[in-house]
Amino acid sequence: MNDLHGILFAYRSNPHLRELTQPRNTCSVPFGGRYRLIDFMLSNMVNAGITDIGLIVHESYQSLLDHVGSGKDWDLSRKHGGLRILPPFSFAEQNGEYRGALEALSSVSSYLQNIRQEYVILAGGDVIVNLPVSDVFQHHLDSGADITAVCTSRSTGSDPRETIYCTVGANGLITDAAVHPNQPEGCECLQIYIMSKSLLMSLVEHCASHGVTSFSRGVLQGMAHTLRISPYLFQGYAARTHSVRQYFEKSMDLLDPAVRADLFDPRLPIRTKDQSNPSTYYGPDAAAVDSLVADGCIIEGEVDHSILFRGVRVAKGAKVSHCVLMQGSYVGENSTLSYVIGDKNVRVRSNRTLMGHSTYPLAIPKNTEI
Amino acid sequence: MKKECIAMLLAGGQGSRLYALTSHIAKPAVPFGGKYRIIDFPLSNCVNSGIDTVGVLTQYRPMELNSYVGNGQPWDLDRLDGGVHILPPYVSSGEKGTWYKGTANAIYQNMGFIELYDPDYVLILSGDHIYKMNYADMLAHHKKEEAACTISVLEVTMEEATRFGIMNVDENDTIYEFEEKPAHPKSNLASMGIYIFTWSKLREYLMADEADEGSSNDFGKNIIPAMLAAGEKMTAYRFHGYWKDVGTIDSLWDANMDLLAPNGSVNLHDTDWPIYARPAGVPPQFMGESARVTHSLVTGGSSISGTVENSVLFHSVTVEEGATVRYSILMPGAVVKAGATVEYAILAEHAAVEEGARVGAPPGGDNWGIAVVAAGVTVGPGRTVPPKAMLTEDLKKEEK
Repeated sequence: MNDLHGILFAYRSNPHLRELTQPRNTCSVPFGGRYRLIDFMLSNMVNAGITDIGLIVHESYQSLLDHVGSGKDWDLSRKHGGLRILPPFSFAEQNGEYRGALEALSSVSSYLQNIRQEYVILAGGDVIVNLPVSDVFQHHLDSGADITAVCTSRSTGSDPRETIYCTVGANGLITDAAVHPNQPEGCECLQIYIMSKSLLMSLVEHCASHGVTSFSRGVLQGMAHTLRISPYLFQGYAARTHSVRQYFEKSMDLLDPAVRADLFDPRLPIRTKDQSNPSTYYGPDAAAVDSLVADGCIIEGEVDHSILFRGVRVAKGAKVSHCVLMQGSYVGENSTLSYVIGDKNVRVRSNRTLMGHSTYPLAIPKNTEI
Repeated sequence: MKKECIAMLLAGGQGSRLYALTSHIAKPAVPFGGKYRIIDFPLSNCVNSGIDTVGVLTQYRPMELNSYVGNGQPWDLDRLDGGVHILPPYVSSGEKGTWYKGTANAIYQNMGFIELYDPDYVLILSGDHIYKMNYADMLAHHKKEEAACTISVLEVTMEEATRFGIMNVDENDTIYEFEEKPAHPKSNLASMGIYIFTWSKLREYLMADEADEGSSNDFGKNIIPAMLAAGEKMTAYRFHGYWKDVGTIDSLWDANMDLLAPNGSVNLHDTDWPIYARPAGVPPQFMGESARVTHSLVTGGSSISGTVENSVLFHSVTVEEGATVRYSILMPGAVVKAGATVEYAILAEHAAVEEGARVGAPPGGDNWGIAVVAAGVTVGPGRTVPPKAMLTEDLKKEEK
């Protein structure tokens, strides 16, 4: 399918993720044992046969660039097309991050002009979902709508004040949108949209000249009666993480086999940067249960109800329960950790005890030694 | 462009002593160590040693190996100049094509490929050994000794020496005699099947060997003895470290088990000399509520709810609740269902052991050995695969 072009927004660093977004952009937050948030939407696009993807970045994107590289782990390192990283190039007059998707798009308008496909899919790079993008595209073509917006009837569990809800009218089209309300109303919008390149270009131009920066306010609310905006109702698992607590809850969702079956469908694989780790070794006294464990770990202690990323070491006598331990972290002998999120390369020495709570997991910043 | 040294990897062997495991794939493509295939070791050694041009000579069931090697990207061997190349036998214009007659003939038939790079030296490797080796050190030894041929050797016990090709050397490690599996070995230096030749010399001997109709066109049987007889300078390069030939079911099982012993094998966690593999792209492994996994290697995409001890599990393996796996190797996609027991066995890719079935048994008895279930084969509910058996067809559920 070469008629669809991908645009991913990766310009936000969500401050509510605190320690997790100190060293990085929201889209490069590690998730699910071996992934970064961006891997989900990036893989969804690749799985639909999309060959050209633009990644709009703004600030603190070094970790993201390091992760996606040339795009070769997604087969996007191409002579013609492939992955293009789009830092701001006509945005010198503004300080601070983009105020909305439309502002981000208008700052890369020369890139948009050169898109060789007829249709464009826009998506945030931080949605945790295995979305059949081909189906969404087919829905868009069949419905004859101007814009297709991916919605879900199943709540992603995110804070309504960070979420957009759509109202669907009797004609099956979206008639209104509620942006960041106090209470959920209507179906939740995943902020993934398909439209033609020409419509996108005219929307970007129109909104730039009228000072409209937000896609949801400017288009979903402002043009719901002039454009035909069709909802695509997605039934599978979808999540976003707006806070440390949500990050923890969404991580623990992965211990549910139904959620894993939804997210890790072997026919639509989620790809990530390859790190050439060997298999995980479980020692003679290891006891790992109800946990998701990536490759390259050495487990000699006890692990329960936890997510372990690549290359994590749990020494003898250590007890890890209800934890998320990111790449390369280490738990020393006889240390006990519960409700802890350990960022990359966190080292907990021997005989330490760290306790968080399910309502307030303890997040330890990258490279901390305890 | 000219290269100082290129590698030629002999990957065409049938691997008949691996029986059921190589019925559909070439030996170098056999899965090893949870994450790898045998060919990952020589390919990774090449790239880690700075050799960026590798010819892979294939012949027997090459499809899976070809698609695995692909353009060489996982090993950083996707190069504009050099890189990895699959070299099957071919037909030259006006001639009749032939299969590779032997290891030396395989190189002879690809002299045209070698000469594209005008190398000073050619490294000959085989695709059935597990080891980590810096070929650059071996090449430095070859150059220092000004040898025509350098053969990498391993010190083995005198007892083991009767099973290897043995190099008899003088006080400078210059080889004066080669004996294949001697009954009374004079030395304990076993050939590892890794050779560096000065290309101009090898070219000469390959031409002469091809002209000799009685020759079996083999490095060990023909080329090395001919060079020795002609008085060429042949030197032994002593290798210290783990090296294992995995050409038989027993040695393949042993070498996998070696990975579980502390310092018992190659160090796969060493980031200074990584072994690369084509990634399977699977999610992390899941340990269920009732999982009991000890002293084992487990790989991504697997889902474990049973008991696993002293075993090596590749990606996407399933061990259901109430199943037991001991001292076994479960290749990608293998399934062990509830109540089944797998001991001292190798389950090849996508083999399935249904409810309550048994495969293999602990050592004991006269005809004991590792049990093997071939790729895609199912052992029906309640059925038994005895030790040393090689199951190549489904065992259906017994009718009552």
